[in-house]
Amino acid sequence: MAPPAQTNRSPSPSQPSGKSEVTDLKSQLRQLAGSRLPGVDDSKRELFKKVISYMTIGIDVSSVFGEMVMCSATSDIVLKKMCYLYVGNYAKVNPDLALLTINFLQRDCKDEDPMIRGLALRSLGSLNVANLVEYLVGPLNAGLKDNNSYVRIVAVIGVLKLYHISVTTCIDADFPAVLKHLLLNDQDTQVVANCLLALQEIWNGEASTSGDAMKEREALLSKPFIYYLLNRIKEFSEWAQCLVLDLVVKYVPADSNEIFDIMNLLEDRLQHANGAVVLATAKVFLHLTLSMTDVHQQVYERIKAPLLTLVSSGSPEQSYAVLSHLHLLVMRAPYVFSADYKHFYCQYNEPSYVKKLKLEMLTAVANESSTYEIVTELCEYAANVDIPIARESIRAVGKIALQQYDVNAIVDRLLQFLEMEKDYVTAEALVLVKDLLRKYPQWSHDCIAVVGNISSQNVQEPKAKAALIWMLGEYSQDMSDAPYILESLTENWDEEHSAEVRLHLLTAVMKCFFKRPPETQKALGAALAAGLADFHQDVHDRALFYYRLLQHNVTVAERVVNPPKQAVSVFADTQSSESQRPHF
Amino acid sequence: MISQFFVLSQRGDNIVFRDYRGEVQKGSAEIFFRKVKFWKEDGEEEAPPVFNVDGVNYFHVKVVGLLFVATTRANVSPSLVLELLQRIARVIKDYLGVLNEDSLRKNFVLVYELLDEVIDFGYVQTTSTELLKSYVFNEPLVVDAARLQPMSPAAIFMQGTKRMPGTAVTKSVVANEPGGRKREEIFVDIIEKISVTFSSSGYILTSEIDGTIQMKSYLSGNPEIKLALNEDLSIGRGDYRSSFGSGAVILDDCNFHESVRLDNFDLDRTLTLVPPDGEFPVMNYRMTQEFKPPFRINTLIEEAGALKAEVILKVSAEFPSSVTANTIIVQMPLPKYTTRVNFELEPGALGQTTDFKEANRRLEWALKKIVGGSEHTLRAKLTFSQELHGNITKEAGPVSMTFTIPMYNASRLQVKYLQIAKKSSTYNPYRWVRYVTQANSYVART
Repeated sequence: MAPPAQTNRSPSPSQPSGKSEVTDLKSQLRQLAGSRLPGVDDSKRELFKKVISYMTIGIDVSSVFGEMVMCSATSDIVLKKMCYLYVGNYAKVNPDLALLTINFLQRDCKDEDPMIRGLALRSLGSLNVANLVEYLVGPLNAGLKDNNSYVRIVAVIGVLKLYHISVTTCIDADFPAVLKHLLLNDQDTQVVANCLLALQEIWNGEASTSGDAMKEREALLSKPFIYYLLNRIKEFSEWAQCLVLDLVVKYVPADSNEIFDIMNLLEDRLQHANGAVVLATAKVFLHLTLSMTDVHQQVYERIKAPLLTLVSSGSPEQSYAVLSHLHLLVMRAPYVFSADYKHFYCQYNEPSYVKKLKLEMLTAVANESSTYEIVTELCEYAANVDIPIARESIRAVGKIALQQYDVNAIVDRLLQFLEMEKDYVTAEALVLVKDLLRKYPQWSHDCIAVVGNISSQNVQEPKAKAALIWMLGEYSQDMSDAPYILESLTENWDEEHSAEVRLHLLTAVMKCFFKRPPETQKALGAALAAGLADFHQDVHDRALFYYRLLQHNVTVAERVVNPPKQAVSVFADTQSSESQRPHF
Repeated sequence: MISQFFVLSQRGDNIVFRDYRGEVQKGSAEIFFRKVKFWKEDGEEEAPPVFNVDGVNYFHVKVVGLLFVATTRANVSPSLVLELLQRIARVIKDYLGVLNEDSLRKNFVLVYELLDEVIDFGYVQTTSTELLKSYVFNEPLVVDAARLQPMSPAAIFMQGTKRMPGTAVTKSVVANEPGGRKREEIFVDIIEKISVTFSSSGYILTSEIDGTIQMKSYLSGNPEIKLALNEDLSIGRGDYRSSFGSGAVILDDCNFHESVRLDNFDLDRTLTLVPPDGEFPVMNYRMTQEFKPPFRINTLIEEAGALKAEVILKVSAEFPSSVTANTIIVQMPLPKYTTRVNFELEPGALGQTTDFKEANRRLEWALKKIVGGSEHTLRAKLTFSQELHGNITKEAGPVSMTFTIPMYNASRLQVKYLQIAKKSSTYNPYRWVRYVTQANSYVART
């Protein structure tokens, strides 16, 4: 057999070649429709496959609908399935022709093979045509009472499909009540699970308009029902277990005994190989203990190991999902993870989205005893070939420094970055040194000595350049050639594209002027002139403001521009951690 | 609850596309692919597995170069969807024997059959290969496995030694073997991925073993199976790190497949299960207990004049000589102003190749095999386009290594015996217990 989509790969539906081939298919199907020759099913299979492969790649094959239905009179189950798939896809755009399929689908719903009954019922529900719903009610009713569980499983979802096509038909036929009965009485756990999800969707939809539905929705959270599910949880499939656990999260236990009962019952779910089950269980635990501070902490300890195992056992994508949860926990309770920092070290072959999360976690868990090791590790990444990660690592070092642990060792490292002579490393490090000096002015001597050696020509990134200029202004008394560097920067005013840099330059020249007037006078004149002529509104305004201030009174100007400064204790952007709370 | 599921090829073509709820527009595959291909957000170059575009959540996993994607407008658990996508890939592989673009295209009707039963109206119904068997009627068209990229780590047994039947991992659960007879056999693979980071002085900074006991059963009639692990195995590393040296295997943590019963686990470390069809992990485990790394890497970088330097890489295999590692690749980033590299292999070197990847300035040294106890050295003379300044060791490295070592496991975790409940005295199926160790992240800093 020729591989299907190979000859026609373009996903474009308007492709000209598609059209003629569809016409071709149409006539071939028509020839086969009435044929009773032996081997006709095989030829049909080939044609059906072609139709479906076109459908997959996006070519519109709805025009062969009639022919497909004509060919569907067959006992070959593979053919039937392909036909069902096709019909489900195109019935909506062909409501008139869809009527043709009702007949054979209804007949199949009464087939003696339960699988055919189930398949037909599923396809009937998938037609999604509003004026055909009347044909759906009968088969659904029969399906819900079928003695084969497969048919019941399909029928329950069928009710949900009907609800989405026509709410009134579904409610008038009293289907929710039937589902409720099955929910409490069916022996098959998949039937129960499907009833649960269907009823949740239906009652969520109805709750806004109907008080009864609201009550029904609350009944799902009643103690007997929750326990009924919890006691059977191991009989459910792993996916249905997630569904049950999601419901339990919303349940409010009466007292702490109940909380412990539920947790004991679910404890072994944390050892499940399916990450979704483990995370859903962890969520239940965290929710149940929200008001019990001590136990809540113990829950963190308890779920830590299983989560770390999930991180390392799945694909990178699954690791990422679990790490994102861990990230949240680490941000809320860094001390619980302080001894596990090595788990958050990056591996060279990890995708950058994983590395980035890990860097943030490393920053959060650093404390007095681990800072040195963590910073050493981060410095290794700074030389990384992956430049975005290298940058991110340097920023992480800076953040840790601002958390005030062992600043001594960190400042040394940051200064080493400046000496590495890689543009991006220098740029990131400059920004950090600036922040560091705002918080720890006592380090200015060490830092300024190194910063003074950096040639401003080697710094191109606006943020880094602005940081360098800020330091030139702030510490101009300690840097012998500060006025001259500022002067040469001012001379190149027109080539400086970033308004941020120009603003900083203006201010730095002002500051420098008050500290070393004779050397800076020329630069100040040039900067103010350039600033006044600047097309950027902010730059222009600031230049004008300085100009008038100087005109008004030079001592006042000095008080405004160069006031004694207090060290910043907490940066505003680090205070946002409480915004994480709503996630729980 | 998901709205659509689709599989895209590397070029972005739909291979299968299934719309379950009609809540997301038809062009979603194209929107998704464009977003992933040209991802440039927050300085990241790779799209994360979960993202949102115009109110639609896109989830994806990459399997053998194919993109398995789910979309939804609902707020669903990302872990659940990602786990599901991975599981769908595994189920498809169980049925097709080999999972790749070619086999998917040839068998897309079968895949639709599976998808119909796995998900209904966006809700997962079952991902059990076994349960699905009764609903699948298409025969898989098996593609040639030999030239294909393997999906699971166990696939390395295919290149394998004589002891192992090569077809096992690429055998479909439904297709009959030539001759129509089904062979009674069961495979238990202990697969360990190890991560080690050495400091520049050779000291081990971090080490971890992530292991899986993977099972694939072709036994008829679903007999019960008993797996016995090391008796002195302990789980949960409290504060008693001192037990190293006592020979006991200490796992940090582990989890189990839902079919596993642990009734006797605390008593005698045996797992009891009735294995379902298809490939599945019996147990995943994680270990940070110290272990002896299989390879030591020594790197020496010396400046040799203004525009030259020499790199000497030495790899020593510290495992028994009865074991042979294969497909070893050693890589090292070089200073960005490197223009030329002259390699010098040891005299009489066989099955070794060297390369300087100019695009990303990387040295690559590939060795077909390394026998336990042996040592291999590579000298590389570098030529630079500009004078060195600063410390050359900061500009080169770290050295990373990938390898596979069959019949070796670093954790010393063992399957002591594998017992199959007997149906009759003549019933004696083939049992394959195989070990393999692979490098996950094996790095030596310079």
